[in-house]
Amino acid sequence: MMEISAIRLEALKEIGNIGSGHAATSLSNMLQTRIDMAVPKVWLVPLERLPEALGEMEATKAALYLKVEGDAPGKAIFVLSVESAEIIAKTLLWMKEPPNIYIDEMAQSALREVGNILVSSFVIALTQFSGVMLQPSTPALAVDMIGAMIDAVLLEEGKVDDSILIIDTKLSGLDDMEGKFLFIPDEGSLDKLLGVFGI
Amino acid sequence: MSNTILVGMADYKVGKTPDKLMTAGLGSCIGVCIYDLQSQIGGMAHIMLPSSREMMKGNAAKYADSCIELLLEDLYKMGVSRIRLKAKMAGGAQMFTFAGKTPLLKIGERNAEAVEQELKKAGIPLLAYDVGGTFGRTIHFDIKTGDLYIKTINHGEKVI
Repeated sequence: MMEISAIRLEALKEIGNIGSGHAATSLSNMLQTRIDMAVPKVWLVPLERLPEALGEMEATKAALYLKVEGDAPGKAIFVLSVESAEIIAKTLLWMKEPPNIYIDEMAQSALREVGNILVSSFVIALTQFSGVMLQPSTPALAVDMIGAMIDAVLLEEGKVDDSILIIDTKLSGLDDMEGKFLFIPDEGSLDKLLGVFGI
Repeated sequence: MSNTILVGMADYKVGKTPDKLMTAGLGSCIGVCIYDLQSQIGGMAHIMLPSSREMMKGNAAKYADSCIELLLEDLYKMGVSRIRLKAKMAGGAQMFTFAGKTPLLKIGERNAEAVEQELKKAGIPLLAYDVGGTFGRTIHFDIKTGDLYIKTINHGEKVI
């Protein structure tokens, strides 16, 4: 694993905390239930170690993907288990049973909305913390093998920086859920984000 | 003892019967298998990008052109016959689509075309392929039979 200075790690943790605070508030309003979000881990992973950091490449997950434009462009993804995504959609749409998110277009649309809020919360945190302007696009949703989704994102246009920022989150309130926020910086973006602090 | 050799992202491996080769979670990437049934030797590559001329950064196994060259070198070292080589491939999907937008650049399709071109250049017949779509694939290749097993989450399984 890459050596990260203590101060850099502190900065990343702070970004995680600010982001999860925003995300929990927005989600609570949206779902009309109190949602708490803890950030057990924030890490920078070298690109070639990403598969290990994500676990089983064949595991089915729900992923929300946004492009981030601005001074430090990149790609942002929020990864959830399929069950968690279904519970969120069910709550949001006042359904009795969890929907089938592979085919239910209402549920997919609801999840894109949630993804927008989750990812934007972390992107705003990055912006607030670094002062660098970032603008997220509208989200795309896929439910498939995590490896397949990540390789597709990595291959989108633009060169990718050497390290990926991962913020592990734990959501409680609806059900205990775990999610991962990933920021895949375009080449040079990571230094712009963290360089602000001279770290 | 049958042994399954795992091929990682931007990686390639070769084996001999009874080995099986597998790569998990192909999205826009291509999994290509090149094999010689008679000598019971085969290899699999997990290719990420069409051409090393576009982006020179990183390892050669990422790219269709350089990766197929490397794989062929290893296969020749193991004693395959050039004229008996055959190939199969899978992958090249478009995993995410943004509402109302058609992507300008379909990496998956370009990847599939690049691999096809490289095989043609090397004079290796592409016997079967399963590419495109909007879903991920995990593939297993049996060197003994030349069968390529393709698994998906919600789009069934097949053998080519």
